[in-house]
Amino acid sequence: MKTMLISLAWKNIWRNKLRSGMILGAIAIGLFAGTFMTAFLSGWIEHSVISDIQNQLAYIQVHDPGFAANNDIKACFLQDEAMVAKIASAGEVAAVSYRLRLNAMLASAAAAVGVSVKGVDVAAEKAVFTLHETIPDSCGAFLPDEGRMQIVISRKTAEKLKVRLRSKLVLTFQDTGGEMQSLAFRVGGIFKTANAAFDEGTVFVRKSDIFAYTGLPEGAVHEAALMTGGFETCRTASERLQSLLPGLDVQTWDQVQPELGLMLSWIGLMNGFILAIFLLALSFGIVNTMLMAVLERTHELGMLACIGMSKRRIFRMIMLETVFLTGVGSLLGIAAGLSVVGLTARSGIDLTFLIEDQFEDYGFASVVYPVMRAGTFMQIVALVALAGLLSAIYPARKALKLEPLEAIRN
Amino acid sequence: MSTIIETSGLYKIYKDQASEIHAVDGVNLRISQGEFTAIVGPSGSGKTTLLNLIGGLDSPTSGSIHIDGSDISRLSPKELVDFRLHHIGFIFQSYNLIPVLTAKENVSFVMDLQGRRSREAGQRSLELLEAVGLGDRADSRPAKLSGGQQQRVAVARALASKPRFILADEPTANLDSKSAANLLDMMEKLNEQEQITFLFSTHDPRIMAKARRIITLEDGRIVGDILK
Repeated sequence: MKTMLISLAWKNIWRNKLRSGMILGAIAIGLFAGTFMTAFLSGWIEHSVISDIQNQLAYIQVHDPGFAANNDIKACFLQDEAMVAKIASAGEVAAVSYRLRLNAMLASAAAAVGVSVKGVDVAAEKAVFTLHETIPDSCGAFLPDEGRMQIVISRKTAEKLKVRLRSKLVLTFQDTGGEMQSLAFRVGGIFKTANAAFDEGTVFVRKSDIFAYTGLPEGAVHEAALMTGGFETCRTASERLQSLLPGLDVQTWDQVQPELGLMLSWIGLMNGFILAIFLLALSFGIVNTMLMAVLERTHELGMLACIGMSKRRIFRMIMLETVFLTGVGSLLGIAAGLSVVGLTARSGIDLTFLIEDQFEDYGFASVVYPVMRAGTFMQIVALVALAGLLSAIYPARKALKLEPLEAIRN
Repeated sequence: MSTIIETSGLYKIYKDQASEIHAVDGVNLRISQGEFTAIVGPSGSGKTTLLNLIGGLDSPTSGSIHIDGSDISRLSPKELVDFRLHHIGFIFQSYNLIPVLTAKENVSFVMDLQGRRSREAGQRSLELLEAVGLGDRADSRPAKLSGGQQQRVAVARALASKPRFILADEPTANLDSKSAANLLDMMEKLNEQEQITFLFSTHDPRIMAKARRIITLEDGRIVGDILK
């Protein structure tokens, strides 16, 4: 009987091809839009967050507790053998970049801007961050020549200071004794990330070029930036490190910039909300279609009850019809959505045609790479199943309430 | 012949604020196996109501209906559905086939409801369609069949569950003379050869001519019972 009921339910949905086609089309388009929109937003946010992690934050940062409050130059710790060994023993850490961090004024002949200076070891920095990859060949490189007092600035900063590659700049900062130190640099590279705020306020120099002028003790650094395997491993590594380094602040990327973590958490909720709205709207269409189908077939349903089809079976048949209708439409929509996600996941969708690169001013990438995670996919499937079942109940209950004799007289 | 249907003191009274309508008014009736009986009478005489009561589609106000000795007026709605499925075959005026199923599927549907194996159901469906002269139209959907052919499929469907009797409510009302004659010949043959009991509700003189017993109803009462 099960096979017959399934076969009958399937055939029933094709009785009125135009009506079923219309609602299938609506479901498919809705689910396509929902799937693609979800992947688009996830990709946009995730890419922006990962880009920030890879270009500026790293997965874990270690600081002296006094540093977080006001970037105090004296709030440093020693990059000694014990420190290196403790970080290495934490596990999950793929690379470490020990950095100096200074607040400074950068001046050209035309203008001056306040910047955050990162004094780095080039090889270690490249092992942790990918910022060097954002420097096109025509814009130099990431501090290529040792001992040449080079500085890497962003395109935005270059525009503000009206400088080009190899232009001369003066960096002024206060040392630990409160004395002003001014050093001359030449622009060695010009980078551009997807985060305009970061770009505007950040410059890179070799640690060895500035260390002697800071007044810091030998081996002192302000920050250790650690690269780990990913979002999950960084948490366990961070906890282990914190127990190994009790006197220091060990923070994961989302503790350093909580708004990024919040954004990533909210995107899941937002996607669920968007999908729920899509499916709620579709559910009304599905209920309406199935209700029409039940009312049109009142006489036939009465006949089925007369010849011995139980109400439970009639209920199940209508439920199946609704589930089939929802299932087929959803399958088509999700398949189309996933195909477009697959096609654009690598090439990306360039949004600069909309509003140049203004998204970057707010920390969002201008090129979006849609991404569909297994969890999100399961969320879509679960919501579709829920919508299908909920939409099925009302028309099926309507059929359940039919009295055979009254129905057959209809 | 053994008694299949027996009603005693059967009443069906519809009440509204002003009056009572006795659709079936104290009917005592006994139908034996193998009968080919027509219930006749003018419109509103209670033919269809009586048929619905016997078919377990409606419940009596009072009185009893015994089918093979069981009082179906005491069955719950759920038990009645099961009873109808296994004991009664229905033929309706407007065929009432499922439009999305083929003739064979329409016939085997009842057997599927009974939980019979699909191979057995398929085989019996073909045999029944052969018996009603539609063996070559087994794969046709109702829309591709004439009214007479559709009603033949309905007869095959009614027979599919191996019922104790068949209730036919105005089965020829929508058929032309030739189709009606063919259908009646076929049902008469089934009755004679297979001893299948038929109980018609009709005012079609062609059925009255074929019926071997005619029960006349007026105002819900039996006013005539002629055995030919």
